[in-house]
Amino acid sequence: MSLLWLKVAVVLYGVAALTVLPAALYDRPRWRHIAIPATVAAVFFHFVSLAEMLNAAHHRLPVDTHETQTLLGLLLALAFLFVYWRYKTVSLGIFLLPICFLLGLVPAFHPGQESTAFPMIHIWWIFLHVALLLAAYAALLLSLLASLLYLIQERRLKQKSPMLPSLPSLETTDQIALKALLFGLPCMTAGLLIGSLIAQATVGPSYFRDPKILLAFAMWLVYVLMIYIRRNAGLRGRRAVYLSSFVFLVVLAVWAANQFSSVHRFTAP
Amino acid sequence: MSPTPQGRLVLLGINHNTAPIEVRERLAIPASRLADATRTLLHQPGVREGLILSTCNRVELLTLQDEAEIITETEQSQTQTTLLRFLYEYFAVPATDLQPHLYEFREREAIRHLFRVASSLDSMVVGEPQILGQVKEAYTIAREAGAVSTHLEALLQRTFTVAKKIRSETQIGSSSVSIASVAVDLARKIFGSLYGKTVLLVGAGKMSELAARHLIEHGASAILVTNRTQSRAEKIAADFASPTVHTEALSFDDLYAEAPRADIVITSTGAPQKIFGRSHGQHFLHSRRNRPMFFIDIAVPRDVDPRMNEVEGCFVYDIDDLQQVAAANLADRSREAQAAESIVSREVDKYHERLQSRDAVPAIKALQQQAEELRKAELRRSQSKLAALTPEQREAVEALTRSLTAKLLHPQLTALRESTRPKDSE
Repeated sequence: MSLLWLKVAVVLYGVAALTVLPAALYDRPRWRHIAIPATVAAVFFHFVSLAEMLNAAHHRLPVDTHETQTLLGLLLALAFLFVYWRYKTVSLGIFLLPICFLLGLVPAFHPGQESTAFPMIHIWWIFLHVALLLAAYAALLLSLLASLLYLIQERRLKQKSPMLPSLPSLETTDQIALKALLFGLPCMTAGLLIGSLIAQATVGPSYFRDPKILLAFAMWLVYVLMIYIRRNAGLRGRRAVYLSSFVFLVVLAVWAANQFSSVHRFTAP
Repeated sequence: MSPTPQGRLVLLGINHNTAPIEVRERLAIPASRLADATRTLLHQPGVREGLILSTCNRVELLTLQDEAEIITETEQSQTQTTLLRFLYEYFAVPATDLQPHLYEFREREAIRHLFRVASSLDSMVVGEPQILGQVKEAYTIAREAGAVSTHLEALLQRTFTVAKKIRSETQIGSSSVSIASVAVDLARKIFGSLYGKTVLLVGAGKMSELAARHLIEHGASAILVTNRTQSRAEKIAADFASPTVHTEALSFDDLYAEAPRADIVITSTGAPQKIFGRSHGQHFLHSRRNRPMFFIDIAVPRDVDPRMNEVEGCFVYDIDDLQQVAAANLADRSREAQAAESIVSREVDKYHERLQSRDAVPAIKALQQQAEELRKAELRRSQSKLAALTPEQREAVEALTRSLTAKLLHPQLTALRESTRPKDSE
């Protein structure tokens, strides 16, 4: 049943991703009236699907790669709705909604076979660890996309090209980018701390010599450094995009490192 | 075009296209006297409902007048005479002075004109948003004066819906077409809200002061003024002073030290060489920790080196740039106006068809009643010849005549219904 609701959510993400294009690029409010309700409905069905999935797997934590992907999609969709509610802009949906659609597509039609097998006592801590880190990744992606929008708007203003009415102002995109990063930092810190404590309790000190874990802490350092530079130097525009892109690449490397990690990887049930 | 059974819709008026300001100002009605004027209009012979729209660009009388079965040219001119008499009585303007500038629309064309006016398609600046508010105000006054009831009520509600539809489905009012409003739009694209923003005026000029006033209207909270003549700077600063706006006259010598305080710089000096160069932009941005700055250069020759636009965070627009944006926006509005005209045409058709379909019901009933009376009269005439019939035979004759009447009427009734049926299903 959870897959059925996930399929419904994916279809709705697809509708939202298509209708947000005329809403954002041509400022047609009628399309916005389709895109936003479609996203809200998609988030609802996505949440139902996730809740059913967790309920069904009551003795085992459902954090295989595909399911983690879909949780990230849900967080990104929530981020899009939050930005719309707070700043009344749908422009970020041009990038975010197709990502939500793609992140849900594979798990909905080809569910993963792997899942982590942790002792019962750690299940909710593991879930918190995963959810917090995914929230941090979602915040970073949001920040990167907002910085890209800043760059587009800045270019148009510099080149004196006709304005796109639906693109938010430079100050708004800068606020979204910075606030997303500030939100992501405590999520990442708490996520890593919880992960470290669980690892200490289950695997022991050898866990911290794993390249994946070392990369994760390097990612945290780079993330903190990026926030420091942005706040102190008032970094905006092109340089902010470069910096966010670099940190995003580090995050992707950390994600990919799951494949090479000896202790932090999904194991067959 | 025949009038509706509910009355005849007549719109008489003058506007900026048909009359010079000297004529328009003689007919202008202040808001405080609009209710009185509307009541006077309602007391004119034959006027059942009425509304007066009086703005700086137009004075229009929209009336629903008593219907006439046949409209002759004499009756048409009589209707106009009624309204002209009102204008003469109320404004003491002779009809001969007005007639060359007047336009008149009836029925369908009056509906079309009203839709176009409320949607700002007939405005001096197409797409300006004030006109819809002015039509709504005229409607409120007329309704309170008892001059608008069922038929004009329905028409005006439809007018507001059409105007809103055009606003939401086209981009007719979304772009600015004056230099000052373009400057505000650009500033908002950079800063979002202008609340709390500081504007620096360098030099003096009508256009730069107008742009500054627009920025204040949209939330800018501080105006810094500098001029080579200090007293002139102080006078301009005093002109802008208000409880919500902080004003300050700066010494021209402090220009470069104080400029980083400003988010928006408007320059309009008569200096023969540039006042702000690229390096100034870099220095300002460094002082502001990369917070953006917007330079509006209205001076000719220019005060700001265009290369400053290359500095990340500095946005420089000179008078030509602003004019180009305004011209492009105006062209956009013209394109959108074409789409809006199509919407108006469709909506006029829909509204008129709705009116006509309502009109057809009494006509059908009248035709059926007339036929029934004829049938009964014919039966009465033949009563003596039918006296010998049994009740069953009498019943059969009744049924036969009814059936014949229905069959004879059928083509006419169908034609009547067809003529009033909407062409496109709604």
